[in-house]
Amino acid sequence: MFNHILFNLIQVAVVMIFAPLASGVLARMKEFVQSKRGPSIFQPYRDLWKFFHKDEIVSEDSSWIFRFTPYIVFVTPIFVALLIPVLTNYPLFFAFMGDMIGGGFILSLGGFFATLAAIDTANPYGPIGASRTRMVGFLAEPVFMIVFFTVSFVAGSTIPYIVQETWVTPLANFFMPSHVLLVLAFLMLILAEGGRIPVDNPTGHFELAMIDESKSLEYSGRGFALMKWGGYMKTFVLMCIFLNVLVTPWGLAGDTTLGAVLLAIPKVLLKIFCFLLVLVVIESSLSKLRLFRIAEFLGAAFITSVAAMIAQIFLPSLK
Amino acid sequence: MSVLIILLLPLIATALVCLPFKRFWAPSVTVVSSVAVLVLAARVAWLTSSGGSITSDLKIGMLKWIAVDGLSALILLLISFVATTASIYSIGYMAHGNITAGKLRLYYANYNLFVFSMLAIPVLAEPTLVWIVVELTTLCSALLVSFENTREALEAAWKYVVLSLMGAGMALFGFLVLFAAMQASGSTGAYTWSSLVAAAPLMPSVLLQTAFLLILIGLGTKVGLVPMHTWLPDAHSQAPSPVCALLSGIETTAILYVILRLFPVMQAAPNSHAETWAMVLGLISVGTAAFILLQVRDYKRMFAFSTVEHMGIILTAVGLGVSVAGYSAMMQIVSHCVTKSFCFFAAGAVLLTVDTRQIASVRGLIRKSPIAGAALVFGGLAITGAPPFAVFLSEFSILKAGLVQKEYLVTALLAIFIVIAFFGIMLHINRMVFGTRENGETETNSNHLSENENGKKSHLPFSCRLALIIAAIPVLVLGFYIPQPLQDLLTQAAAVLTKQTP
Amino acid sequence: MSESTNQLLDNLNALAVGLFLLTAFGIVAMRQARGVLNLFIVQSLLLAASAALLGMRHQTEHLYGVALVNLISKPIIVPWLLRKTSPSEIYTRREVTQVLNIPTALLIALALAILSYFLAQPLLKAVAPEFRGPNVPIGIAGLLIGAFTITVRREALPLLIGLLVMENGAFLTGISISRNLPLLVELAIATDGLVIVFIMGVLTRAVQKQIGTTAVGELATLKEAPFEPTESEPTK
Repeated sequence: MFNHILFNLIQVAVVMIFAPLASGVLARMKEFVQSKRGPSIFQPYRDLWKFFHKDEIVSEDSSWIFRFTPYIVFVTPIFVALLIPVLTNYPLFFAFMGDMIGGGFILSLGGFFATLAAIDTANPYGPIGASRTRMVGFLAEPVFMIVFFTVSFVAGSTIPYIVQETWVTPLANFFMPSHVLLVLAFLMLILAEGGRIPVDNPTGHFELAMIDESKSLEYSGRGFALMKWGGYMKTFVLMCIFLNVLVTPWGLAGDTTLGAVLLAIPKVLLKIFCFLLVLVVIESSLSKLRLFRIAEFLGAAFITSVAAMIAQIFLPSLK
Repeated sequence: MSVLIILLLPLIATALVCLPFKRFWAPSVTVVSSVAVLVLAARVAWLTSSGGSITSDLKIGMLKWIAVDGLSALILLLISFVATTASIYSIGYMAHGNITAGKLRLYYANYNLFVFSMLAIPVLAEPTLVWIVVELTTLCSALLVSFENTREALEAAWKYVVLSLMGAGMALFGFLVLFAAMQASGSTGAYTWSSLVAAAPLMPSVLLQTAFLLILIGLGTKVGLVPMHTWLPDAHSQAPSPVCALLSGIETTAILYVILRLFPVMQAAPNSHAETWAMVLGLISVGTAAFILLQVRDYKRMFAFSTVEHMGIILTAVGLGVSVAGYSAMMQIVSHCVTKSFCFFAAGAVLLTVDTRQIASVRGLIRKSPIAGAALVFGGLAITGAPPFAVFLSEFSILKAGLVQKEYLVTALLAIFIVIAFFGIMLHINRMVFGTRENGETETNSNHLSENENGKKSHLPFSCRLALIIAAIPVLVLGFYIPQPLQDLLTQAAAVLTKQTP
Repeated sequence: MSESTNQLLDNLNALAVGLFLLTAFGIVAMRQARGVLNLFIVQSLLLAASAALLGMRHQTEHLYGVALVNLISKPIIVPWLLRKTSPSEIYTRREVTQVLNIPTALLIALALAILSYFLAQPLLKAVAPEFRGPNVPIGIAGLLIGAFTITVRREALPLLIGLLVMENGAFLTGISISRNLPLLVELAIATDGLVIVFIMGVLTRAVQKQIGTTAVGELATLKEAPFEPTESEPTK
């Protein structure tokens, strides 16, 4: 049992430490694709260090929400990291505290506070971005729900560890139509929730066009660093769910030795790196959608997930 | 062997008309090949009118699926007859507009291809091959419908192609389900009409019913059954008149033949509701067409809606009971075919005279062109079932069969709709032919044919008049006397519909 | 063949068929004509894949022939024919305004897909067990969604693709429940598809010459309602 708690903590540490790295690698590869040199992959670490040492300025008209939100945004991905398989494929100490739906709610809790905080100051761009984030959020909700329901229908449970087991044994299960369609739907979700192209431009500076970036407009110093780090961790956690539960549920530590768990870290990082390659291709080849076309994009994700559900629920009854 | 030649002749004609000879080459080749096909079809009909079917001697490739029995021979005969009269009519009609020689060749090439595709429908015995040929008829006639290249003609052609192909897609599905049904019945024969009848009692009824419905609705789109008929008035009015005669007179009937081929299959299967469906759909078509006929504004559309009405009548007749009304349905097919083609020839003559399709613009036709006016009256009376024309006889016998079957409501409705259609058509024709304008005689300006103003009698081309006369003969004669060979053929055709075992 | 290979083939077939359904949804919703054409090519490839997989699973050699026919005719010959016969403008069209907005159209397509599952149930119960599979409901869905595409799209190319999707759907069902149809027939059906493309390409060119655009949804003048007065209409 002590082992399990230790592994859980290692898991959280992995998420915290490597999330900025993932973001830095992604930024560098995007620049690479455009034939530029790009910043160093450790640049996010340097940025976080810089921001932690800067002064923080807080508007007088803002309330406690504004002050608390960076902590909430920082902590919620950590909670979710406790619940999902990051390094091991057997449940750890806190694994049964919440299932995937619980994890989804915790992540959206962070998003909720971030939205409120954006409205909290009197900055006009804050509410614009906040309302747009909410729009993307509520359009993505049905997709989340259907994905989780279908996945749990297959596995008989919504605990990520148990779901992951179903996909691993026999290889034929990997090609089940519901599986592939779910992967597609979830990929579109990650693009939407993570604020990547085609939904939003993560490197844009134009406030009038910001969707997700607007949550950190008003922050400075430590608050800003916490918001950014929390954002990196949220994306990292989503990628972990996607890769370790849905797409490539292999390469995770099978036995309870410390060595196996530590060995799983580079494997997980390799998987994330491959996924980042895919993400770079998507980001570099598409352009940002016009705002109201986002509804169509998420509509397509919804249809894909429902097709997966149909394939899962109706097909076996035909045999 | 004659069957093969019947199929080959139009193909050869298509190839020949593409040769860039003089202007009269293409029409003459078409007329010659149509007459030859007619003679051969008459011979085939003669051979099958005593029962039995003709199959091809060579059994290679697709040829092994050629089988002509009484019903097929009847349709074959009708197709070749209308093709002949329409090709004669085309000589004069197409010489009229200022069409380039190239476009004329295109017309005749398409014409021959279209005739070929129609001829192939009754000849093939494998349902999926028949489906392919049905699609071919749509595609070959699409360019004919849009021949005049006006905006309305293109719209008509587009709607025609899209709706027909949609229906054909459904029908393909139906044919595939039918094949599955045949497989599920454990039969080992080839997939032909006759082996379908043999296998029918063992087929799972849900598959058979589904297939029947799909084919009825899918091919019913091409037949012009309501509510899938929306393309029909457009396509059948915008095409050049000889093509309209082909389309309305025989093509819709040929597709109806395909649907009729399913009826013996449905009869052999236990508790199928095929006849109820046929009656309901038929009545709906007749009723809708009859009411719309009261308010048409374009006389070619009027005749097109009359086609919808007659298709409905035939389907209702089959629905009343094939054993009782089968002969009448066959007679109705024959009479409708010859009469409708005549009507469109008459409409074409009117169009040549007054250059407009609007009923409201045409008045006092009898003064402008007595032939066109007389033909229009003749055709209108004939198609609406006035005595002593052929349609009257067939409709009367259908109504009688309905009374025999004790389907009083259906018969009454049918009679009422026919009367309404009669009023509608004759009202319009009466105004067109005999009426005077409200504000006195104001001439329409672009008048194709008349040399002077003041309504001098205008001349239709000789070939148009010849075609009108040739087409008028059966319309009148069949109302009085049906020759014995034709009677035998009709009986054979009806027998095919009712046969329980091959 | 071993049980696990059978299951793998079944799953791969189900995957191909599931992606087929997805491409059908895409064809309803995609704005750009070129995108619709690409989706159709992908769909035909999936159809060929399904035919090949079913052939492997049930040891029916002539399904390989069907797969080959589909592989050649639709992804290769159809675009080539389109380039030859229809105006090049059709590739650049986008439907900026639609008959139904896209999310609604997608939801209706989804409802049609669910409906087709229920429609397929009685059919599947009536055939022998080795013919059952996901092909039939998705084939019916393809048919219905193709018909729906024809009603909601106003551009020429998506309309044509809708027709071909209907045929693809019927074909998809056919390769599973009417497997033993002679190859000649399947070949003829494929050729027929090509003739459709040819004729509609020619028609589209004529339409574009006449009305200046390929938005055939705008052709809607023929009805029983009063016409605009032409030169031959009398003035009352």
